[in-house]
Amino acid sequence: MNKLLQMENLERHYETPAGVVKALDGVTFEIYEGERVILLGPSGSGKTTLLNCLSALDSPTGGEYTFTSAKMEEMDQVPRNNSEKMTSFRRENIGYVFQFFNLLQDLTVLENILLIQELAGKKDPARAKELLKLVGLEAETNRFPGEISGGQQQRVAIARSIAKRPTLLLGDELTGNLDTETSNKVMEALVSACKQENITSVFVTHDEGLVKYATRVIRIDSGKIVSDEQTNNDS
Amino acid sequence: MSALLNKRLARSLWRTKLRLSAVILMVFVGVFAGVTFGGYAYNLGGMYDTMQADDEGGANLADLWIDNRSAAWTPEQVNTFCDALGAAWDSSTVSQSLDSCEGRSVTQGAMFHTNDTGEHIINSLWHGIPDGANADRVWMPKGHSEGRTAIAADEIVIDAHVTEALELSLGDTVRIGAGNATADFTLVGMGYHPLHVIMAPEGTLFPPESGEYVVGYLSDAGMARLTGEVIGISNIIMLDVEGTPSFDLPDTGEYEGEEIDAVKQLVDAALAESELDARVRDRGQNEPIEVMRQDLKGTERTTVPFTVMIASIAAITIVLSLQRLVQSQAKEIAVLRTLGVKRSSLMTGYLAAPLVIGGIGCALGALAGPVGMNGMLDFYQDLVGVPIVERSVPPSIIGSVVSSTMIVVFLSGAFPAWKASRLDPLAVLSGQNEMRVGSNLLRKLTSWMPTTLGLSIRSSMRKPIRLTMTFIAVGISLMLFGSIQMMSAGLQDTMVGGLEDDQTWDAQVYILPEAEGPVVDWANNNSASYEMIIEMPLGSVSDGDGIDRVFTLVGLDSFDDGMRSVSVLEGGTPTPDAAIPRVMMDEGSMNFLDWKVGDQHTVRLNGAEQDVEIVGTSAAELARTMYFHRDDLSNLLGVNATSIYLEFPSGVAVDSALGEASAGIVERQTLLNGINSLLDQQTQIFQTMMYLGLLFTVVVMFNTMIMNVAERDFELATLRVLGASTRSLGTMLLFESLLIGIIGGIVGVLFAYGGAVGLAASFSSWQFFVPVTIVPSVAWQLMSGVILIAVAMTPFGVWRLRKMDLVEKVKDLSS
Repeated sequence: MNKLLQMENLERHYETPAGVVKALDGVTFEIYEGERVILLGPSGSGKTTLLNCLSALDSPTGGEYTFTSAKMEEMDQVPRNNSEKMTSFRRENIGYVFQFFNLLQDLTVLENILLIQELAGKKDPARAKELLKLVGLEAETNRFPGEISGGQQQRVAIARSIAKRPTLLLGDELTGNLDTETSNKVMEALVSACKQENITSVFVTHDEGLVKYATRVIRIDSGKIVSDEQTNNDS
Repeated sequence: MSALLNKRLARSLWRTKLRLSAVILMVFVGVFAGVTFGGYAYNLGGMYDTMQADDEGGANLADLWIDNRSAAWTPEQVNTFCDALGAAWDSSTVSQSLDSCEGRSVTQGAMFHTNDTGEHIINSLWHGIPDGANADRVWMPKGHSEGRTAIAADEIVIDAHVTEALELSLGDTVRIGAGNATADFTLVGMGYHPLHVIMAPEGTLFPPESGEYVVGYLSDAGMARLTGEVIGISNIIMLDVEGTPSFDLPDTGEYEGEEIDAVKQLVDAALAESELDARVRDRGQNEPIEVMRQDLKGTERTTVPFTVMIASIAAITIVLSLQRLVQSQAKEIAVLRTLGVKRSSLMTGYLAAPLVIGGIGCALGALAGPVGMNGMLDFYQDLVGVPIVERSVPPSIIGSVVSSTMIVVFLSGAFPAWKASRLDPLAVLSGQNEMRVGSNLLRKLTSWMPTTLGLSIRSSMRKPIRLTMTFIAVGISLMLFGSIQMMSAGLQDTMVGGLEDDQTWDAQVYILPEAEGPVVDWANNNSASYEMIIEMPLGSVSDGDGIDRVFTLVGLDSFDDGMRSVSVLEGGTPTPDAAIPRVMMDEGSMNFLDWKVGDQHTVRLNGAEQDVEIVGTSAAELARTMYFHRDDLSNLLGVNATSIYLEFPSGVAVDSALGEASAGIVERQTLLNGINSLLDQQTQIFQTMMYLGLLFTVVVMFNTMIMNVAERDFELATLRVLGASTRSLGTMLLFESLLIGIIGGIVGVLFAYGGAVGLAASFSSWQFFVPVTIVPSVAWQLMSGVILIAVAMTPFGVWRLRKMDLVEKVKDLSS
């Protein structure tokens, strides 16, 4: 497998009145194409900060984060402290799924997907419909988010996140707002989509039950990686 | 616990200082405007009462004027008339007594004034007022006038409107004339007269520039000295009746003139008995009095809609801002409710907060209001040139403005707080209360557009009530701003356009009856072209309600290529020698009287009934005018000309020879300057309101755009996280701004036009007719202004986007 990204001795320290908080303290790992990684850890362990650094929402205060474009076959330094470049990086490489779905209420299910394609300059209505079929929502194309269930909304969010063919899909507690049965449906849809689209994914969760959908589990605590294991789940 | 909760609320609100300040500012503006305009209207009401009062300090305005400018009644004729009237009065049922019946002479003339730029012949009017006269005295208010009235034969009082412009001081000698001779007089006073509040020559509504028209008040002996007549010769008789008999107000639909009509019947009988031929006018028919009364009423009337408009804008902004302020507290309220805080404990603070916010704004507004009121009164005083002596701010005005503002503030703060306290805390904390279903109609309407464009439109329309209120507020703001501009443009077109473009004369020389010879000679000697005209305010007609309406008669030799061509709106121009004289009437008269081209009507010309045929309608006339061919009018009135238009060749100008041959001279350029200056002054009166309107447009648009952007943090942050560039989001915001700007602009132009029509209707009366024309440049200016304001808000949105802390936002989005 090709290496997709690499973090080396990554640090994210915050200055606070009480002193320096080390949210990430020397994190080093690599992620390979096609992996489905789950970041597990208790609250305050640094997993969301790590996800923010992965998505270039946040800039590390130390260490190196390099990203391999599958097409270019070379490692690029992920931009730091430049909002527009970081946005551009996200637009070209990252898909993102939120805990509360964050679909735009004024747009229909289909339009939510088309919007992201349009912003990325890759508008493709046929693919948008295909993705909705992939997540089992072809019948809800013209409905508004407020008219469908939470699980369905999250599946739309997944379809939206992969609509522009990102290299890396990230999710932060994406089933945190769903019951177990719905969570499973969403994760199955996600796994299916990632496999079909050959998308690498990293998800933050504290739900051990989701481990069964991952090919690799990284546990983190106090800003450090405490374990990094491959699972037996097929990739 | 309640104190702690209130402290929390205060600190929480303090975090939104900008919005809090905006609400206080709007409350301040609302109260300030209310007190300013309310106090202004209240004090204007008494402005002329002081001047016209029948007491020691007042001028005692007459109730009836009986005049004939071409007559010279001897003292015996005046006494005969007064005796006949007295006898008829005694045997009548008129309840009020006759206080006085006095004759005097009023004559047109000229002042020969020399200053640094040479000698100037100024068109003038001279009154000969006997010492001890009862009615129409010179008004000399203490502290606002100088000197005393004229008593001796060589003394004069000059109207205070012009003394500053002419740089006159007490003791100066002035040389004046009245048609055929000149004499020197010593200036002994500077005062005012109730018939000359508007300093315009008879027959015109336009005061020339200050110092270009002079009114002077001589004694009866002084008048005799000037005219060479004996003391007591009169051409006007004034009646003063006990109290003020009701007279018809021409600008109302009702007829109020019953009391004065009873007096007029006695006057008609006495005129017949004493064999005098004269025109009889009450206060409503005396143009200078009526024009100023209507001007005052118009000014008073406009303060009400302007106050209501300003209050509405302030109220809408307060409602929107305060609701947003309280709604932004929904999450905190939910947390406190989850922690077990009672609704009533929460509500106390939210009920008190608007009262405190409103109280601060009201206190500031009430303190500043009287300053604004005095400023407006000073301005009107300077414009009219008559002092407003008595001023006060009634507590009832402050009370009503403050209480109504506080009610708006209280309700607009308390209602959303009440709603927020009733929200399900779980729904608020989980964000479920923000879930909504988009509009299918909007989806269908915008589905063909690019998704970003569709989202922009749908986002703009997301809060239709707020958007509607914004558009209403913008519309009202622009009504303040644009309607005045539109009306001014219409007035400019009417008043200046005709005089500037259609007329070619350089000077209008007024002459006494049969005295055109010397002026014609002067013209021939100086190679000047001339054209005789007849212009007299001696026409009258009964309107549909049976009310007598007075109009000016104008006789011209040519309507197309003469020195005063007339713009024809409909039909044709009068031709002479028809069995029934053919006339053209101005647009305003035709509208008021509901006459049509081709109609035949009976009118009165100098009191005599005459049938006329309407052959055309003239445009661009502020005053009511009937045009005749001069030959026809000359035959009907027995007057060959009342003035002569002169067109000068290069190097020829008005000189003292022409001044001495005339009864007054008006130069077209002076008249144009005067009209332009009058329009400027009128515009200045409204300029404060105009700029207030513009300021409100900016505030309202800014307020809405800020709220729109602030409320969209959620979706903008989502899009930013998903990779939308600031540029693409900025384009979306720009499109939304453009959309709101264009709709706001269209609404604004419509409101402005509606406002202009309303304003024109409130100003229009028989005396004035104000046409409203949509001047495209004004409409474009309004549209562009609103669009510019809306678009100018985009950088703010982009700045917010750039400033957005996405890590913090993602926390919000994921918690």
